[in-house]
Amino acid sequence: MRLGVIDYGASNIHSVARALQSLGSKVSIVDTPDKFKSIDKLVFPGQGSMGSCVKKLKETEMITPLLDAIKSKPFLGICLGLQILFNSSEESKEKGLGVINGSITKIKDINNENLKIPHMGWNNVKIEKKHQLFSGIEDKQFFYFVHSFVASSTETSITTTHYGEEFVSSLSNENIFATQFHPEKSGEIGLKFLENFINWKI
Amino acid sequence: MSLAVRIIPCLDVRGGRVVKGINFKDIVDAGDPAEAAKRYDAEGADEICMLDIDASFEERSTTIETVKSIASQVFIPFTVGGGIKSLKDIDMLLKSGADKVSINTSAILNPDLIVEASKEYGAQCIVLAIDAKQDGKIWNVYSHGGKNKTDLNAVEWAKKGQDLGAGEILMTSMDKDGTKSGFDNDLYAQLSKNLSIPVIASGGAGELYHLVDAVKLGKADALLAASIFHYEEISIKKVKQALQREGFEVRF
Repeated sequence: MRLGVIDYGASNIHSVARALQSLGSKVSIVDTPDKFKSIDKLVFPGQGSMGSCVKKLKETEMITPLLDAIKSKPFLGICLGLQILFNSSEESKEKGLGVINGSITKIKDINNENLKIPHMGWNNVKIEKKHQLFSGIEDKQFFYFVHSFVASSTETSITTTHYGEEFVSSLSNENIFATQFHPEKSGEIGLKFLENFINWKI
Repeated sequence: MSLAVRIIPCLDVRGGRVVKGINFKDIVDAGDPAEAAKRYDAEGADEICMLDIDASFEERSTTIETVKSIASQVFIPFTVGGGIKSLKDIDMLLKSGADKVSINTSAILNPDLIVEASKEYGAQCIVLAIDAKQDGKIWNVYSHGGKNKTDLNAVEWAKKGQDLGAGEILMTSMDKDGTKSGFDNDLYAQLSKNLSIPVIASGGAGELYHLVDAVKLGKADALLAASIFHYEEISIKKVKQALQREGFEVRF
């Protein structure tokens, strides 16, 4: 099995690739449209803003093959890789991929907790719906987050996390899974999660 | 629920080896960096920091090898600092596996570096490191690994750093560093009051209660220490248990 990690030229994909490799996976970097073909599973680590990400995907002509892959192959979006699945984001004028209904908004400090933004550090992940990718992972474990924008709600939500407001820390729809946290930076539990993705059968 | 207080063991590295000094002097060898990082990860460290002390251009390749070696074995956030002068340096370290870079003297000499780096890689990537020494009611900033006194006021400089685009402040108290007499909580309390980005407290950890006090009194978001963890004087787990007893969120 070959795992593809998308590199659109702006995100630090190396830590994700390294984590997957440490689990014994063969990893290919996908940075051109033709490289999607030989891939069995796809990981999309995102960094930066939605606008620049979509723009770069367009420049590299990877939007179409990416959308095709999202429809047909096990897909894991990480951080911006979750946000880009939605229709739109407050962060940019550029539209998202529209694979998941809803929009991305800036983290709201509902109880005036004087929150520091970005939400950066270790926070609890509450499992709302059972899923194979959380098998062997207990409820309310700590995962590592770095972000300023969130999906407040979606029917596809698998876990939620509280920071200023309750937000979607992971979601899934058929062959799609996406996390707001960084499993590749979440220590042993993060590696367990990635191992579950490697073994994920749909 | 809130964010867990982060415990960050720091590896002071020189020529590919962990070293430890007292009051920025008296360097002693203390082992292999990747082995130490792995041990810390297993013990529950929330991040790993590696400071390449007196990193020079000639030693850059050694630093890169050390960064790669740590990053391929440890899967928690990893900050690298020491001798970073340009976007090219930052790029190389991030590509080698660092998640964040810590910039000290170069930011003082060239504040635009923080602006540019933050724009290019995001604020979450850029840690402004400051070495400070108390003088009456204020703290002065020192550059070049604590060798040169500058005209900067530490709290003001931290605020400026935040405005320039730094995502975190790593403040080391030179008065406390290596003394094991507790953190400079007055300094951290002032910083926390004035900043909206996280503050990492460094310098002075000796007893368990020192670390708790830095969070309780200094309002630090994260605690960085080297020798107490390195020589296993206090375990990371014990620090977290003590913080938890005081009602702070920690990750086990």
